[in-house]
Amino acid sequence: MMDFSLTKEQQELISSVKNMASKEITPFALQAGETEKKKMLKSLARMNLLCPTVPKEFGGLGLGLVSSALVVEELAAASPGLAAIVAATLHAAEPIILAGNDQQKNEFLPLLTGREAGAAAFALTEPEGGSDLNIISTYATAEQTGYLLNGCKDYVINAGIARFITVVAATDMLNKKASLRIFLIPGHAAGLKTEEIYQTSGINLAPVGRVKFVDVGIRDQYVIKSREAGSGYLLLTQTFDVGRALVSALAVGIARAALEHALHFAENRLQSGIPIKKHQAVAFTLADMATKIEMARLMTWKACWLIDQGEDYSVASAMAKLVSSTVAQQVTCAAADILGARGYLQGNLIEQLVRDARVLSTIEGTNHIQRLVISSQL
Amino acid sequence: MSFRDIGIKIQAAREEKGFSQEQLARLVGCSQSALSNYEKGKRRLYLSQLEKIAEILDKPLEYFVASLSSQHHSQPVADRNQRFVTIVNHLSRLTDEEINEVMEYIDYLEWRRSGGHK
Ligand SMILES: Cc1cc2nc3c(=O)[nH]c(=O)nc-3n(C[C@H](O)[C@H](O)[C@H](O)COP(=O)(O)OP(=O)(O)OC[C@H]3O[C@@H](n4cnc5c(N)ncnc54)[C@H](O)[C@@H]3O)c2cc1C
Repeated sequence: MMDFSLTKEQQELISSVKNMASKEITPFALQAGETEKKKMLKSLARMNLLCPTVPKEFGGLGLGLVSSALVVEELAAASPGLAAIVAATLHAAEPIILAGNDQQKNEFLPLLTGREAGAAAFALTEPEGGSDLNIISTYATAEQTGYLLNGCKDYVINAGIARFITVVAATDMLNKKASLRIFLIPGHAAGLKTEEIYQTSGINLAPVGRVKFVDVGIRDQYVIKSREAGSGYLLLTQTFDVGRALVSALAVGIARAALEHALHFAENRLQSGIPIKKHQAVAFTLADMATKIEMARLMTWKACWLIDQGEDYSVASAMAKLVSSTVAQQVTCAAADILGARGYLQGNLIEQLVRDARVLSTIEGTNHIQRLVISSQL
Repeated sequence: MSFRDIGIKIQAAREEKGFSQEQLARLVGCSQSALSNYEKGKRRLYLSQLEKIAEILDKPLEYFVASLSSQHHSQPVADRNQRFVTIVNHLSRLTDEEINEVMEYIDYLEWRRSGGHK
């Protein structure tokens, strides 16, 4: 049985997020500085949207992945940077939701919910690389009652603002992949330092930076499945499979914003005495953009639906991320062409969206890695 | 270590227990073709699934994810990590030329371990 309709609750959810975004995010998104960003994060917290997958018993909305993807799409259409803050928070919370014990859930998940909610970060990539897990040099040495963490993580979204960082580290340097563990590090932990926040090309509202760990002491209860050696690698790959579906939703939101802007422009810009949308070349470009977005959205929904059903979703989420990120890059560039010269000016929405979309083929595993994930399962 | 390696371990542990793919699949609650794909490494396993398989086959989870090479290590993990840190500290004091010599020696050790084959 196939059903593409949204439930009444999902429709109400979208309309309330859209309504809030149109008043509190979109008008400020392009020029937002730190003050506006804080206000936007407050708006998200007011609606409990910083990490909508957190179960209700820990103060969250308890949304499934399909509903969460709807939220991420709406936020990305309003501000890709803000949506990236949410997507990173969702990623950081996922290992806790999937495999955390009661104590971990009680301590960490409420930090992401309610009016005082903050963001969280997920840290895997290191200066030496992000695609190859064997290069990981952040390591945790086993102590009597926990671990000592040393190393450096790079390009971490929400660096410096995260309430906690979900860190992937090796516990055996000669058997890295199999020894991976997932550690929960409070944002104020001694020995944790944000070394640098980068000037990025796009998703500018999201702080992206380098964090360093020097002898950070981690109690056993801050290690996910601390007693189960070998669990980290599987949990990591599973978490990425979920994260990819959410980045896919983020891509759909960016592409949709570009289409809406280009369509509005094409209906109002006159050339040769008629709106440019009446020129077949422009109309067909818009048709292709809309068709590609629909394809990307359906693939995103399918991946999220499989996750919600507890089915195998690895290939579906890699395919969705591969397609949606490519579509977002194509659609934003096509929109820039439709806008003509103004689409090339700094401060123009489309110029910003082109830069926002650029990162989508890199984060959450590059698109080469998505192809590896897909082809290994054919 | 890859999903293919994990699959090989599942097959070995299943055969050790004397289960057919159908029998194990039934106990795990998946189809025989899904289990076959897990064993071939053509389908990703999630943590809860491997935990279930490990329990049924009476093996710790670590058995399935430990890479084959790790079985050659005899020192405890913490000792080896400490030695690793010491080696890295030494390396950081070497000249580029000395590091090249170390690399050549590592190549030689790998060549010797592979039985002298490329
Ligand atoms: C804005 C931004 C935000 C980010 N946020 C986070 C975050 O929150 N947390 C986090 O952990 N990381 C984050 N990252 C890092 C991101 O996940 C990595 O950049 C990505 O995984 C690639 O790693 P790398 O940059 O080291 O490139 P490399 O791994 O060095 O890859 C370089 C190139 O080689 C290709 N390549 C590498 N290996 C293979 C292979 N086996 N087969 C085929 N091609 C290959 C890659 O596809 C890529 O094109 C972020 C990055 C950016 C730019």
